[in-house]
Amino acid sequence: MFGIKPIIRRRILPSIGLLFGFSFSLPLLPSAAFGSDIDRAIDQLRAEVSEHSARVFALEQRLLHPADSRLSVFLTLGSPDSLRLDAVELFVNGKPVVSHFYSEREQGALEEGGVQQLFVGNLPNGNHSLKAVVTARSSNDRFVRRESSYRFQKRPGSSRLQMILDAEAPDFEPRVSFLEWK
Amino acid sequence: MMVRVFSFPPLAICLLLLCTVPSLGTSATSQVQKELKAGLSRFALATGELAPVVGFSEQLSGESAAFLRARVLLATGRTAEGLEELKNVAEGQSHRAKAALLLGRYQVVQGAIPEARQWFERAIGVGFGETRQEARYRLAELELNSGRAEKAGQVLAKMDAGFWAASGYMNLSSEYARSDLNPTRALVALRVAIAMAQNDSDADRKDHLVNRLRIRAGYLALQNDEPDKAIGFLEKVSLEFDNTPQALYLHGLALAEKGNHRSAMQSWHRAKKFPLAFPGVAGAWIAMGRGFDLSGYLGQAGEAYLAANAAFESERVTLRKLANGIRDQGAYKSLVEDSRASDLEWFLADSRTLTQPRMAYLLDFLAKPEAQRAVRRVAELRELAQGLAKQHSELGICALLLTDHLVLLDAREEREASELREHQMALALGLKKLSAKSLNADQTDVLNSISETLAASADSLQKLDGQVSARPSELRKQLDQTRTLTNQTARLSAQSLSLTQQAENNLDQLALNYVRDRDNEMVNSIDKTAQQIAHLYEYLALENLAEATQ
Repeated sequence: MFGIKPIIRRRILPSIGLLFGFSFSLPLLPSAAFGSDIDRAIDQLRAEVSEHSARVFALEQRLLHPADSRLSVFLTLGSPDSLRLDAVELFVNGKPVVSHFYSEREQGALEEGGVQQLFVGNLPNGNHSLKAVVTARSSNDRFVRRESSYRFQKRPGSSRLQMILDAEAPDFEPRVSFLEWK
Repeated sequence: MMVRVFSFPPLAICLLLLCTVPSLGTSATSQVQKELKAGLSRFALATGELAPVVGFSEQLSGESAAFLRARVLLATGRTAEGLEELKNVAEGQSHRAKAALLLGRYQVVQGAIPEARQWFERAIGVGFGETRQEARYRLAELELNSGRAEKAGQVLAKMDAGFWAASGYMNLSSEYARSDLNPTRALVALRVAIAMAQNDSDADRKDHLVNRLRIRAGYLALQNDEPDKAIGFLEKVSLEFDNTPQALYLHGLALAEKGNHRSAMQSWHRAKKFPLAFPGVAGAWIAMGRGFDLSGYLGQAGEAYLAANAAFESERVTLRKLANGIRDQGAYKSLVEDSRASDLEWFLADSRTLTQPRMAYLLDFLAKPEAQRAVRRVAELRELAQGLAKQHSELGICALLLTDHLVLLDAREEREASELREHQMALALGLKKLSAKSLNADQTDVLNSISETLAASADSLQKLDGQVSARPSELRKQLDQTRTLTNQTARLSAQSLSLTQQAENNLDQLALNYVRDRDNEMVNSIDKTAQQIAHLYEYLALENLAEATQ
C-alpha cells in the first residue's frame, strides 16, 4: 500500500551475547581501522592503569591497615543454589561498617564460588563482636531477613574471618556461620 | 569488562594513618591464603574491581587458576598474554570449552575466520550446556556469512532448543528471506525459532526474542499475501516493547489488506502515540490519511495528511536540535547522559523509554554494534579518567599528611609509650593477684582471655621501640612512593583524556551520520504525504470539474 519498510538486517551479533549476560568478557572488540587503533591504545592504557591501581592498593593497605591490627571479613555462600543474596549489613562492636546490595553479577560470582572481601579494618587486640544482617530470597521463594552475632578474640597480627551463608532444604532457613582462619 | 581505578578511601580514613604506626609487615596479597585467591579473583572479575587481585593472579593455583588468570589478563588490558593463556586453557582439561569459545569470538572480530571455525568446533567437541550451544550458534553464523545457508541449517539442526537455537533460526530465516522469491522457507525457519525460544529459561530474554520473531513472521506473511496469518502473529506481540509500533503498523496494513479500514486505522492510531524515532510510526501517520481516503472520508484524509506533514516537520526540528546538541555538547552527553537524567519521579516515569524521542533515538542508535562499541569506549574511558582524577586528589592529600606528620614527629610517642608500659605492669600485677584467688570456671575463662590480651599488648609495646626508630625513614619511603604514584596518575590521566577525546569524536561522527539518515527519512516521509495531498486535491479538482460540466 505505502511500501512496507524493509526490516533492517540486524543479526544477533557477539555484542548482543554480552548484553544478554554472558559472564565472560573480551576486551573491546575492534571492527574498523579506527576501532583497531584506539582499542589497542585503550588496552594499553587499561593495562597500565590496572598495574598502577594495584600499586596504589598495596600502598593503601600498608598505610591504612597495618597488619598488626587488621581484621578482614570474607563472605562466601555455603550452598549456592539455595539462597539469592539481596543485601548484607555488618556491624563491628555494634557500629555499622558495611552495607552492601548485591547486583546480579555479584550474586552470580558468589554462586560460582566467588569470595567477597566484605570488610577490612583495624581493631585493637581483645574481645569484639560482629553482627551480620542478611536479606535474601531462599529457593522456596521466601524473602528472609536474619541477624546473626559472633564474638571473637582479636589476636596480634592479621585476623581473617570467613562468613558463610547457608540455607539447606527443605525449609531453606538461612544460617550464618563464622570461621576464623589461623 | 570495565576496569575500575582503585581510589584511596576518603580523607577521614586517610587521617587514620597519622594515628597508626606504619607497618613494616607483609602486603595484603601475600596474606591472602591460596584457597582465597581464586574466590577473590572470581568476585573481582564480576565487579570489575581488579586492583586487589592483579598482584596475585600469577600465584593462583587449582584447576580454574589458568582460566581465571587469562580472564584477569584480558580484563586488565593485557590482551596478548590473556589470549596466550586462554590457548593453554583450551588445550588443557578444565574450562577448555569456555576458553575455546572466547578465542573463537576474538578471532571472528579479528576477521580470522578459519581459526575462529577451529575454536568453535573445539568448543562444540569438548563443551556442554550453554557454552556448546553458543559455539554451535556462532559456527552457524560463520556459515551464513560465507553464504552457506544449507551448512548453517545442518549446524542448527543439531542444537538443543533454547535462546541460541532460536537466534540461529532467526538469522537463517533472514538469509532465506533475502535469497528466496517465496518467503515460505523463511516463515518455516521463523516458526521453528519461535518454538525453540519457548525453551529459554530467561523469561525477559525469551519475551524480547519471541516479540521480534513474531514481527518478522507477520511481515513475511504480509509479503506473501497472507493477511490472516500476519494478523495471527502480530496480535501476539507485546504492547510494551520497543518494536511495538512496527507491529501495530504492520497489523494495520494486514487489516487494510482485508478491507477492514476502520480497525486498521485503530492500529495505526495506536502506533502514532509512539515517538517518530521508532520504526513503523512514520508509516502509521501516512497510513491514517490513506485509511480515511479508502473509507471515503476525503476531507479527513486531507487533514490526516496535513497532520502527518506537520508531525514530520516538527520531528525534523527535533532532529536538528539533537544534531546541534551533538555538535555543541558531544553525542555522549546529548544522547546517553541526558537520556538518563529526568526530573520526573520514578513512579510518574513508567513509560519513559517508549515515549521520549531522545530515548527512542538512543535505543535505535544503540541497536547498531558499531554504535555500541563507540559508546562503550567513551563510557570506559570516562570512568577511567574519573577514577584517576579521584586517585590523584587523594594521593595528593596523603602526601601532604605524610609530610606534615614527618615534621611533627617528636618525643610525644616515647612519653606515651613509657606511661603505657607502667600501666601494663600495673595491670599484669592486678591480674596475677586475681589469678591467685579461688575462681570458678567462668571467671577463669575471663581471666585467661584478659591475660591473652595483656600478653598481646606487652608484645606490641616491646616491638614499639624498633618500629618508632624506623618510623621516619619508613614514612619518607612511603612519601616518596606516594609522590611517584601521584605523578604516574597525572601521566595516565593525560593519556586517558587524549584517548577520550578521540573516542568522543568518533562517537559524535557516528551519531551525526545517524541523525542525518533519520532526517533524510523524514524528508522522504514529507515527500510521500505531499504526494498524497497532491493526488487528493487533484482528484477533488477533477470531481468538481466533472460536477460543473454536468
